Amino acid sequence: MQLSKKLEGNKLTITVSGRVDTITAPEFEKYINENIESITELILDLKDMSYTSSAGLRVILKAQKLMSAQGSMTVINVQDDVMEIFDMTGFSDILTIE
Amino acid sequence: MIINLKGRIDSSNAAETESKIKEQIGDFTGEITLDATDLEYISSAGLRVILRLKKANASTKLVNCNSEVYEIFDMTGFTEMMNISKAYRKLSVEGCEVIGEGANGIVYRTDPDTIVKVYKNPDSLDEIHNERELARKAFVMGIPTAIPYDVVQVGDLYGSVFELLNAMSFGKLINEGVSVDSLARQSVEILKTMHSTMLKDGELPSKRQEAIGWAEYDVEHLPSQIATKLVDLMTAIPETNNMLHGDFHIKNIMQQNGENLLIDMDTLSMGHPVFEFAAIFAAYIGFGCVDSENCAKFLGITTVQCREFWVSTLKYYFVGKDEEYINNIQKMAEIICYARILRRTLKRFNGENEGQKAVIDFCKNYLVENIPDTQKLYF
Repeated sequence: MQLSKKLEGNKLTITVSGRVDTITAPEFEKYINENIESITELILDLKDMSYTSSAGLRVILKAQKLMSAQGSMTVINVQDDVMEIFDMTGFSDILTIE
Repeated sequence: MIINLKGRIDSSNAAETESKIKEQIGDFTGEITLDATDLEYISSAGLRVILRLKKANASTKLVNCNSEVYEIFDMTGFTEMMNISKAYRKLSVEGCEVIGEGANGIVYRTDPDTIVKVYKNPDSLDEIHNERELARKAFVMGIPTAIPYDVVQVGDLYGSVFELLNAMSFGKLINEGVSVDSLARQSVEILKTMHSTMLKDGELPSKRQEAIGWAEYDVEHLPSQIATKLVDLMTAIPETNNMLHGDFHIKNIMQQNGENLLIDMDTLSMGHPVFEFAAIFAAYIGFGCVDSENCAKFLGITTVQCREFWVSTLKYYFVGKDEEYINNIQKMAEIICYARILRRTLKRFNGENEGQKAVIDFCKNYLVENIPDTQKLYF
């Protein structure tokens, strides 16, 4: 799993690539928590994310909760396999996906 | 009526396929299911056949499509027009670690993050879908719970896939020395989240209807005045749409990385929160009405801890209320709880079992003594 970020004012884009699983999810969570202070618009760009386990889903869910208290979160460029997981679990009903 | 679609349907055989299907349908007007298990490919000519079938009978649906066939239906907009479902993902549990076994199924760990509960009865598909739908509903409505995945086929059986929580139950935490009071306080937070989640009419089963059913069942076993008043009291509880867990106790609350999550969502319902308290009371005290060790044994903690958990739950949920108010809530919970246990035990009673007889007598006596002074069963 690789993480990178781009900041434009109060808008932050975090790009996630590779696999998010039990081993890498804590790092993903820490990365989000360390970077979203005073951010009102969070974009999660998942174009290179090939897989997420429930641990990764839970991180996304927590980010969504944090962001709905301070602004908004949008998930973009979701790959088919990951989208299938979002659909299966009901995540596509609770996230803003573009 | 189930009609099997086979092989490829394209311009070379669409007309023939259509007349065969029509022959099969004849003048049948009921629900038609097209089973696509063996369907490999469908061209636009085939799609037009499906379209005409759907027009002729609006209930026509397609099941068990493989991914390629499903994609064709999806791309062409058919999935929005009619009920089309994919085949269940096939999963093998060979060599998987068994992590639990219950009366109706076995739970396997399929990978580090997921478990599958495989049901022993091959006809349990409806039950599985129902349980998964409830879990999913709670999940998307923001209730902290294990993430529900899909329904899968395991050989001839079906299973439900869930996230594996790397967690300890509140029961275990109590045994590890965590204070009952602090866990009860945390459990109330989840309870309040749940009870403040309002559902649409009919979205979940009504607990009030179920409870009226308990009271009506008890009628012939109670003195007539008591019986009538019990049904009236139960009926007078307002029908509300608050989400209720239905089996809220320390074995069903898990802690994972400092986050508390609920499991076992198959008893999810909606109604007045008083019903939740009746079920909580049952778990900590009510089921032990004759033998107080019952609850302790089931929950894996001591009788004193059971009582403490219950008292603290009331204290934190009704913070700021005086003792009289809280005692009154407990009384309501007791009456609903014992009406339920009476019916449940009567249903199982074979006329001999001394333990069951003692429970029945206890519940009857309790209701006879306490119903006359009760004004209402809701707050």
